[in-house]
Amino acid sequence: MKVLVTAKRVVDYNVNIRVLNDNSGVDLNNVKMSVNPFDEIAIEEAVRLREADKVEEVIVVSVGASACQEQIRTALALGADRGILVETEEDMQPLAVAKLLNAIVDKEKPELIILGKQAIDGDNSQTGQMLAALAGIAQATFASQIELKDEVATVTREIDGGLETISVKLPAVITTDLRLNEPRYASLPNIMKAKKKPIDIFTPTDLGINVEPRVKTLKVEPPAERQAGIIVETVEELVDKLRNDVKVIP
Amino acid sequence: MISESVLDKIRNISGEVHTDNSTCQTHGLDWTRFYKPNPSAVVFPRTTQEVGAIVKLANEYNFGLVPSGGRTGLSGGAVAINKELVVSFDKMNKILEFDAVDCSVRVEAGVVTRTLQEYARNKGLYYPVDFASSGSSQLGGNIATNAGGIKVLRYGLTRDWISGLKVVTGRGDILELNHGLIKNATGYDLRHLYIGSEGTLGFVTEASVQLTTDPGSLSVVLLAVPKMTDVVAVLRAFREQTSLTAFEFFSDVALQYVIEHMDLSVPFSKRSDYYVLVECIEDDDAITNVFMDCTDSGWVVDGIVSQSGQQNKDFWRYRENISEAITPFTPYKNDISVRVSKVPEFLAAIQDKVMSQYPDFEIVWFGHIGDGNLHLNILKPISWDLDRFKQRCEKVSESILGVVSSFRGSISAEHGVGLLKRDQLRYTRSEIEIATMQALKKVFDPNDVMNPGKLL
Repeated sequence: MKVLVTAKRVVDYNVNIRVLNDNSGVDLNNVKMSVNPFDEIAIEEAVRLREADKVEEVIVVSVGASACQEQIRTALALGADRGILVETEEDMQPLAVAKLLNAIVDKEKPELIILGKQAIDGDNSQTGQMLAALAGIAQATFASQIELKDEVATVTREIDGGLETISVKLPAVITTDLRLNEPRYASLPNIMKAKKKPIDIFTPTDLGINVEPRVKTLKVEPPAERQAGIIVETVEELVDKLRNDVKVIP
Repeated sequence: MISESVLDKIRNISGEVHTDNSTCQTHGLDWTRFYKPNPSAVVFPRTTQEVGAIVKLANEYNFGLVPSGGRTGLSGGAVAINKELVVSFDKMNKILEFDAVDCSVRVEAGVVTRTLQEYARNKGLYYPVDFASSGSSQLGGNIATNAGGIKVLRYGLTRDWISGLKVVTGRGDILELNHGLIKNATGYDLRHLYIGSEGTLGFVTEASVQLTTDPGSLSVVLLAVPKMTDVVAVLRAFREQTSLTAFEFFSDVALQYVIEHMDLSVPFSKRSDYYVLVECIEDDDAITNVFMDCTDSGWVVDGIVSQSGQQNKDFWRYRENISEAITPFTPYKNDISVRVSKVPEFLAAIQDKVMSQYPDFEIVWFGHIGDGNLHLNILKPISWDLDRFKQRCEKVSESILGVVSSFRGSISAEHGVGLLKRDQLRYTRSEIEIATMQALKKVFDPNDVMNPGKLL
């Protein structure tokens, strides 16, 4: 059995995001980039399945500029077997990514596709769902537990107010939630081995997919700045502020 | 003891004087846990003038003053045990002025280190002095102890970043030293005398701090090193082939405490007796090359590399949280240093002493190997009371410090001397040196009101 996982290149979680002066987007100049943390969880899950002999091969896909190879190498160091880069300079949106992934699914015929439930840059949470629809296969989103048995995946989903357990027939798309696992660290011996693992490169044209953006960004603005808190000296002052300034008590 | 009428005079200078037990207990103590705080009162001045007036009053009525900053000191430098007046800089926490051309910022002594680091980042710059306690420690305390920390290897000590100081001397005079100048060849640089003086010559109230450019993306590497004596060889290899910003080491005992108490994941499948944390400018090829050299030589058996900013932080936690993780065990801390080239020989000699003299104690090693600085922590057995433990540690320390002395090392690399190490000063400083320091103190503080009993 083959598993396909994704490794999106995103602005590192710990970077202080700065909006460009012309409000056209986010400043990506000299900014640290990393694997989308939800994809890291997807990669870890796939590697664990292979270590448990439930699957034979883990293929990692990234879509974007040539630099995405760094994120593929990270995934290979974490245990994926080979990589595929769909190289494009175009601004990629969920539908286009889902179509490209669907084309890769057609080529590779994986029984399982594991993606992050969303990427921390766009926060769209659309690609996995769209891919399942395009491929005409089952989907199990926001997974916090996955069990594979006899061509069926039993998936516990994190839903509002609790957990839901469903079973889906393979092939299927699963998207990962935070509690699914804790990704391992990349070891240096594995980073060196990863250098020898193959990465195939395609363009959207090779796959016959039009990736022209459908959504136009009009304006990007930083969130409103929070006002600094104040320290009050006495309980009386606190009550006075709550009553007269904030007006939360009568 | 400070009489009520004198306390009133202090209140006239600075509105905020606290005599309640809880403020006295918190502000009369630093992180050192061997003393019982016993101050008369705690005052929170807001200006240099107020500090000056308080010092004059201390001279007039003959009471001692103890400075209090972020209270993260580990040698009892900011502990008030003799009814002194504690002078807290908590309310002097303003960033006063920034100059983009000078790349410098003028701050009050009570500004917290991390606040300054974040301020610098927002200006597109970088304040590189950093340590585990940077979220609490204040600039004034950093200056008074010439604080070092985890980036000394590349960026030096607090001393290297201070271009000007405003201080109140033990006479109550206000001195402005060096005025933020880079070049100033006009005789004795009193600024540097105050840096590291532990409040015994006077109190720092303001500082001009230099900032630098951000080093860019950094990688953090964690290595499993079975033999302590190979650590310096690993340092050399990384120094030659990468652009290092930090090189730290810790023992497996330290790691186990951190994992247990800080709820961190286990970094390696196989344990090793020692570990090294390397931070360097991001360069994957260089890192894998040095790693191969180190494994080929048998110095290193495993290694992991951070793949994200979050992992950078997580890896650092293995090293930075050690102090906090072992705090419940009242560690007796030896903070010692030698020339980097002497480290392997020194480590072997110390290890030898420790093994023979502390067989019943648990030892936690960690340190800034790149700076020749080792932290040797002895944990208190739970059944021992504090006095017995401290006495025993002091006794064994003498033989450790004898080794330090024979290597011409320092008995306090970065924690200062304070109360805790005062009687050990002679292991690092000669008799004549100590006498000269005492004479200098007399010049600035003739009545011994500034942090009395500390350092000398």
